[in-house]
Amino acid sequence: MKARRDVYQAIADPTRRAIIQMIATEPLDIKSLTARFDMSQQAISLHVKLLADCGLVRMEQRGRNRFCRPQLNKLEEVADWVAQYQQHWESKLDNLEVYLKKLKKERYGKQKK
Amino acid sequence: MENKKNDTSDRELQLVRLLDAPVELVWEAFTDPEHIAQWWGPNGFRNTITRMEVKPGGKWDLMMHGPDGRDYKNESVFLEVVKHRRIVYEHVSPKFTATIGFEERGEQTLLTWHMLFESAEQFIQVVKTFGADEGLKQNVEKLSRYLAAQLENN
Repeated sequence: MKARRDVYQAIADPTRRAIIQMIATEPLDIKSLTARFDMSQQAISLHVKLLADCGLVRMEQRGRNRFCRPQLNKLEEVADWVAQYQQHWESKLDNLEVYLKKLKKERYGKQKK
Repeated sequence: MENKKNDTSDRELQLVRLLDAPVELVWEAFTDPEHIAQWWGPNGFRNTITRMEVKPGGKWDLMMHGPDGRDYKNESVFLEVVKHRRIVYEHVSPKFTATIGFEERGEQTLLTWHMLFESAEQFIQVVKTFGADEGLKQNVEKLSRYLAAQLENN
């Protein structure tokens, strides 16, 4: 299967983000997850399946139930992109700093030692 | 889930920098289009500012000219302008609200730049698109370095 699903798609949906948050503290099975949402078990199953396809959740068989366990290292990928975007804005401030230095020299250069 | 709406941590960006210049000068660098054109935009970009009305409701049109010859339009509207204190503007697309705070610290200025996107979905989209572009750029850089090395070897 082609890995067309990615981690962004996984977390782009509020329900899926909520699911990740819930299972981050304790692994849950579909039934107990469903109980926490105003949604059908089928709908929750689909969300979990997508999360599993993206590698954010691993399914674990325990007795008769399948539990969802989070695979949070995948989320680091997102953090990396955010950091890169932040860096883009930080570089504006780097430019500003250099520019202010130049401006200060022009304005007050003579008064300062 | 009630506090979810107030939690903006998944759709915001915050920059804080202590600038080694008095607040008057920092303010000027931010509000005078001639100054802004000198430092805005990533390295290698040039900027043309066609409109900058620094007052509530005023428009701000800035065009960034990329090194690749592409132009990137930036349209914003100023929502709040408090001299030497605060500027709030709304960027049209991608839609986000930026709040720039200026705080006098003697001869220095503490600058806070906060960007709030409409939704986490949209923020992720922007970050992802940006990351894709950035990744592409790095690839092109890698390729050109590689080609340069190849040329040297021949």
